[in-house]
Amino acid sequence: MRADGQTVLFARRPNLRGEESAQRGLLPVLLGTLIAAVLALGCTNRPYADEESHEPILYVPYGEPPKTLDPAVAYSTADHVVTGKVYDTLLDYHYLKRPFELIGGLAEHVPEAEPLEGGRVRYQFRLREDLRFARDACFEEGPKDPARFTEDGARRVLATDFLFSLSRVADPAVGSPVVEPLSHIDGLVAWGERLAARRKNDAEFAKRRVSQQYQEIGALSGFEVLSDREFAITLHSPYPQILYWFAMPFTTPMAFEAVDYYTGEGGRPSLDEHAVGTGPFVLKRYDKRARIVLEKNPDWYGVRHPEWRAPAATFPSLEGVTGLSAANIEDFAPLAGRSLPMLTRIEMRREEETIPTFGKFMQGYYDTSGIARESFNRVVHEGGLSAEMAERGMRLEKSVVPAVFYLGFNMDDPVVGSAAGERSRLLRQAMSLVTNSEEYCRLFLNGRGLPAQSPLPPGLFGYEEDYKNPYRTLNFEEARRLLAQAGYPGGIDPKTKRPLKLTFDVADTSPESRVRFLFWTNQWRKLGINVELSATNYNKFQEKVRDGAYQIFQWGWVADYPDPENFLFLLTGPMARSASGGPNTANFSDPEFDALFGTMKTMENTEERLEVIRKMRAILERERPWIELFHPEEYALAHGWLRGVKPAGLSIATTKYYGVDAVAREQARREWNRPILWPAWVFLALLAGLIGPLIGRYLKERT
Amino acid sequence: MSEFFSPGPVRDALTSSVIALTVLLLAVIAIIKVRKDEPLAAGFAEVYRRRRFSIAVLVLYCFVALLDSIAWVGGGSVSEGDLVSAHEARSVIDRVFSRPRERGYSAPLADKEFYEGSPLAARHVLGTNVLGEDVLYLTLKGARVALLIGAVTSLITIPLALFFGVLAGYFGGRLDDIIFFIMSTLASMPGVLLLVALVMALGQGTLSVCIALGVTSWVGFARLTRGETMKLRQVDYVLAARSLGVRPARIILRHIIPNLLHLIVITFVLLFSGLVLSEATLSWLGIGVGGSWGQMIAQAKDELSRDPLIWWNVVPAGVALFALLLCLNLVGDALRDVLDPRTRRLRA
Repeated sequence: MRADGQTVLFARRPNLRGEESAQRGLLPVLLGTLIAAVLALGCTNRPYADEESHEPILYVPYGEPPKTLDPAVAYSTADHVVTGKVYDTLLDYHYLKRPFELIGGLAEHVPEAEPLEGGRVRYQFRLREDLRFARDACFEEGPKDPARFTEDGARRVLATDFLFSLSRVADPAVGSPVVEPLSHIDGLVAWGERLAARRKNDAEFAKRRVSQQYQEIGALSGFEVLSDREFAITLHSPYPQILYWFAMPFTTPMAFEAVDYYTGEGGRPSLDEHAVGTGPFVLKRYDKRARIVLEKNPDWYGVRHPEWRAPAATFPSLEGVTGLSAANIEDFAPLAGRSLPMLTRIEMRREEETIPTFGKFMQGYYDTSGIARESFNRVVHEGGLSAEMAERGMRLEKSVVPAVFYLGFNMDDPVVGSAAGERSRLLRQAMSLVTNSEEYCRLFLNGRGLPAQSPLPPGLFGYEEDYKNPYRTLNFEEARRLLAQAGYPGGIDPKTKRPLKLTFDVADTSPESRVRFLFWTNQWRKLGINVELSATNYNKFQEKVRDGAYQIFQWGWVADYPDPENFLFLLTGPMARSASGGPNTANFSDPEFDALFGTMKTMENTEERLEVIRKMRAILERERPWIELFHPEEYALAHGWLRGVKPAGLSIATTKYYGVDAVAREQARREWNRPILWPAWVFLALLAGLIGPLIGRYLKERT
Repeated sequence: MSEFFSPGPVRDALTSSVIALTVLLLAVIAIIKVRKDEPLAAGFAEVYRRRRFSIAVLVLYCFVALLDSIAWVGGGSVSEGDLVSAHEARSVIDRVFSRPRERGYSAPLADKEFYEGSPLAARHVLGTNVLGEDVLYLTLKGARVALLIGAVTSLITIPLALFFGVLAGYFGGRLDDIIFFIMSTLASMPGVLLLVALVMALGQGTLSVCIALGVTSWVGFARLTRGETMKLRQVDYVLAARSLGVRPARIILRHIIPNLLHLIVITFVLLFSGLVLSEATLSWLGIGVGGSWGQMIAQAKDELSRDPLIWWNVVPAGVALFALLLCLNLVGDALRDVLDPRTRRLRA
């Protein structure tokens, strides 16, 4: 035995036979422990507790955490994921009907407009009886006034709660993004101004509780409280679209106790982080960077009174519903008439990367999933599900999002804008004729887009499937002819004798998006027009837009509510960016179009309205302030055990209609997640092969 | 004639061609000069003997870049799909590849489009990208961008480093303190962050990327020259010159800089590869130079996670970048071995 440090360290006293064999026995023990550890770890990859496996719980991932849960402020889809479930609305949408149709929600019926003198319009709402807020700590403060609380201590929903929520929208300190459309309510803006002025002048007043401040400012002239369950809203001018705003969480009833209690002070969260609603679900856990849990609200009217068969608390029957696929009908028919919600809990887990999210969906740990661009070809085959997915019993739900993407021209520009008159119109028409958005959808969106013919997307009144825009059908011959007529034969600008040079201003400098923008400019190069990309960051781009220093831009618009007004207003003169800072970035201004818009805006969805819309469409078709590109299509995957799924495209509350067959899910999860143990065995074998000789060698050297 | 001086494609073509030919001329002159200088020629001959293959690859890159720099307007065939290009400055490479764009992806040497299976206009050795552009063409065009970035930035970095390093090393004292403080401050800032901030401030473009890279990468070399100058200042012939009352500027130009020449050559080669790589990093962050390999990689990175896989956009750019850097480093190492007196002594 060599007497180097290593061996001395391990040297033992006289080697007895017995001790040696004990040494050898160590190896199996070591290996056994390792195997046990690997088995214990490798057996399950289930991210949820075992005992919940047979409950109707919905498991969904979310990417971006909500910014705020305050219903008066929340406007993004990320926020709506929670607010849409927790806050209930006066009106609701029929779940299955397209075009969208309003139904009663917290209100018993959709109110009729009553015209008053002076062009004013009144809507009278009648609430359902026995509406309650979800139980919450904020209601446990102080004595319970029987006028506001039921005998068992739940806070009742009163007409004044709607007044309070509208007051919050009007309150400049809340910063609601929807003051503009709701300012049609008589006196709303003036009320907000009164409040702001009082706060500014009276420091004492500003310190009082918000509910007290609102009370002291006095009545909102457009809101009459008729009884606990009845109220009326008066608009100073006709605005039929107001009803859609009552189907959004902005106008959900708000308890003043909640606003006074959840101020973000004294260790209590603010309303950005906490929700006190009347909806079908309550927020149980809100750890927004990791996990959000919602549970069925036992105080929701649908749960307490299923016998009412309230339309927004019952799965709709298929009568009068058109356009459903056979698979949809098979799925929905047995659900019709069921009372909602069918889920007891919604588990939302944050997922930041698309590929692992999809992986967990494939394992059955999420019930729904979008389709990442990368896995598209694996999932979708010739417009339907691939064999691999269909075998797993998945369903693919396609729906066109009520949105439009477009390339816009700056109509104030001396070359492409209206100042150049007929010449620029012909140029815009020529460019529109060669812009191939179908190819774009194929290359960059996996075909998930419907080439657009006009700003109006399908699902909205005024969209006509058989309308084909002559300038949105590829025609190079015609485009060349128009371009020559515009004074640019072969794209040559007679002034410089070189190809006409335009700039395409984009707000994204990433190399990936550059390829997409180059796709458009390559189209125009075929005509001989040299459109250069000017990519800047978003702030710089906003600056350019503010200064009017842009020629061509790409933008999109998603519907707030399903009415053509919400799209066509983007092209009206008063909304022009250069004139008023409005969203009409094309700065399109056409008196005839504006007049037609004024008429169309307040009309009911009738044949006459369609006629007006057609006239407006004809103006856009001719003038081409936009090259309408496409309406994006949403492909959603759902496992077979998830029932009642119908994508809406709009941010409307759909989850309450979902049902889960938990038994089938559990079975599938077990089947799809059998542990694959052979790599562990191989690893162990290798390890043993490595360690065995080493130990043998050591023991040999020791003797 | 006035057309030649007004901004436009003609001037672009002319400038690019003239610069490229001038560089070529300078290179030829440099080679002739070196051949006349006995010891230097022996050194380079030694490098050439040891790194024949790497040098051949580098020459190939330079040749491609040269072909892509010699451009003129008009003439030649123009594809139907692009009427604008007839009026633009097009290089030799552009003209060789003046085929119409395909509709979208196609695999290397495939005869039909990748997804739709529609027929292609031509076969492409390295396939086509999402816009239907030939990947071989894009890869070849990247060579010019890479060499341009490396060369222009080196032209900014080396004089800057030399100036500060020699000044600090030769004069010492307060001046040294100030310069060394600046260098330490720059060196302690996170490099990529500083780069991004500079590009954002200067605006995007080849020149601003070069300036940003130059400003952030001179410190290391300046330190080296400072130390070397300090040493040289104590050498007998410098002391002699100083005691004879020769002006510092003259000493620096006659005695110090010529003795730093080997350092400059080695640094130039090694810096070059570092700069090309830094540009790739910037491209990844979305603020690089248009048409560079870094940008090709950034554009195609999502395609690697596609199923079925599209690899032919990333791989050629990566290989081109890798080959250039490897050859530069090999040559740089050989140069150091041969030129640096210390390593020469060690080897002996």
